[in-house]
Amino acid sequence: MNAVEPRAPGEPVRADGPGLPDDGWRRLHPATPLLRGGVVLVAIAVWAAVQLRDVWVTILLGDVLGEVGRVPEDPAARWVFSNVGLALLIVLVVIIGILVIGWLSWRLHSYRVTADVVEEREGIIWRKHRRARLDRIQGVNVERPLLARIFGAARVEISVAGENANIRLYALGSATANALREELLAAASSARAARATEVGTDPGDSVDAARPGVISQRLQELTSPELDSRLSTPDSLVRMDLGRLLGSTALSLALPILMGAAVIVVPVLLTGQWGVVFLVVPGVIGFGAYAIRRVTRSLRYTIAGTEHGIRVGFGLLSTTNETLPAGRIHAIEVTQPLLWRPFGWWSVRINRASRSTRDGAAGQAATTILPVGDTDDVVRVIELIVPGLDLRGALGGAGAASGHAASLDAQVPEYVTSPPRARVFRWWSWRRNGYHLTDEAVLLRKGSVWRTLTIVPFARVQSVALSSGPIARATRLRRVSVHTVMGPIVPSLGAIDVVDAEHLAREAESRTLVAMVSQR
Amino acid sequence: MTEPNPVPADGEWHGVAPSYLWVDLAGQALTLVVSAGATVIAPLASGVAWLWALPAAFVVIFGTSMLLTPRRVRAIGYRLREDDLVFRRGIMWHRQVAVPYGRMQLVDLTQGPIARMLGLAELRFVTAAAATAVTIPGLPRDEAATLRDRLVALAESRRAGL
Repeated sequence: MNAVEPRAPGEPVRADGPGLPDDGWRRLHPATPLLRGGVVLVAIAVWAAVQLRDVWVTILLGDVLGEVGRVPEDPAARWVFSNVGLALLIVLVVIIGILVIGWLSWRLHSYRVTADVVEEREGIIWRKHRRARLDRIQGVNVERPLLARIFGAARVEISVAGENANIRLYALGSATANALREELLAAASSARAARATEVGTDPGDSVDAARPGVISQRLQELTSPELDSRLSTPDSLVRMDLGRLLGSTALSLALPILMGAAVIVVPVLLTGQWGVVFLVVPGVIGFGAYAIRRVTRSLRYTIAGTEHGIRVGFGLLSTTNETLPAGRIHAIEVTQPLLWRPFGWWSVRINRASRSTRDGAAGQAATTILPVGDTDDVVRVIELIVPGLDLRGALGGAGAASGHAASLDAQVPEYVTSPPRARVFRWWSWRRNGYHLTDEAVLLRKGSVWRTLTIVPFARVQSVALSSGPIARATRLRRVSVHTVMGPIVPSLGAIDVVDAEHLAREAESRTLVAMVSQR
Repeated sequence: MTEPNPVPADGEWHGVAPSYLWVDLAGQALTLVVSAGATVIAPLASGVAWLWALPAAFVVIFGTSMLLTPRRVRAIGYRLREDDLVFRRGIMWHRQVAVPYGRMQLVDLTQGPIARMLGLAELRFVTAAAATAVTIPGLPRDEAATLRDRLVALAESRRAGL
């Protein structure tokens, strides 16, 4: 398992293996304290320098300007001015203290990967020792904030099922991060499949080989979309089109903006008070920031199947690259906002077992697996996630080539839909509201105005519920819920005829059991 | 798939102990006393007659609910099938959930004060999905403990990850 043994840059090669004193523990990138807290420090220093400018000027240039003895007005500045020695001493002590703490926290923060677990130790006073089983890894995310990219560093986040149970290693050298990811994913997928996967192609060599010079290496890293272009084997399944990205962002913002505008314009017309207009400024800034963020994040979006799982990449300046080993996706939802329909665009979200509060723009990186794509893209992405799911058949074989609204919402006979009497509850969508069962997954199609298609692989279903309220029972309608791990998607289908609903629940139960047996 | 402790996977519906009725009623009575008591203060203090409508409404609502409680308690049931547990409850708001044994992450046994006096306990099943929400109330303590041990053994033998 430990065939790949990357070492932090600058660290001497050392023996690895159980029983040895240093037992495979590795440290993070030496620039870690600077990357984690350095920016704040520099900002404080700059702020202090600006604030106390008078003092510096007087102390340094007082003689030249002939202003000795002029006491600044600011009380803080006055104090510094009258206690120069003491002030310098305090500054020195603070700087040394910060350096020592930074160095200590770097010294004490280490991680290691053994045959079954990945472990992390950190903390100076409150020590934390976190250990995660390799076969429980839900995904490995390599994130490279802009600052870290300049230093050739990256953040590796190892997702484990649970709320904020992730192991976050920041910062690692790019090559180390890359090798660690390969190692973990190989271990994670082979621990599950119990087969000897070829563990990488020894990226350790590539680290040494790719050393023509630090500058050119950094440049190469900055420009290449992936950390190591050799390892991002297949091409992205979906090519993100700038026009489509801009158009979809604009359209998805159009409705809220129109509503906001209406809220503002009406009072202005009624009262004639133009001052109200300024109330929208924060809103405009917010929408603008959201739009810019969405576009820059999604511009270099990639998705591809690798030998260890699905790899999704985002980001223009700060990049993230997440790899999800097979079977870590619990539910998939394909949605189409109303205004996207003329263009045939959809977006795809997923439920996954690990959650982090630090996930980017509205959790985009974590749960949005395709920000916008046409029907063809959607079909390809879903085939990647649930291999063997005959989606084209399920979608009515509309070929998707038409590129327009057809296919995903086509009136397919295979869907069991609501009976006409459900019209009371599903005014527009009762004809669409339905389910389709395959051997691998259940497909729930809903909504006529806001269209969604929810796909839950049986191998990930936790439980199945059949429920009804008094009105539903009077009309012989039922709701079926398929429970998965918590996430943005809550798979459930209401207003289904009692016979169909019982059939759906029964089939979902038995197919889940079958899927679980083959999973064991 | 041989278990050391085979479950009578009889597929029969098992009800809860009839004495669970008192636990349920006591809970509702307490809620009624608290909510009616809180809303009674306003009409008493102000003397405005129509303010009595609120506590009166609470009494009517909880009174009806308490009258229906015996039926509701009888409607609670669970069933052990070969590979999953089925739980149902509710008459007006009916809900039936099937949980495969292999998906159970843990089984909780809890006892409230009144349930303890009556020798009852409740079992709560936790899966990776919060929505599963299966709690079997009103089981005699011994039955609850045996059931828990069986289910834990079953979950162990059929474990299938998340």
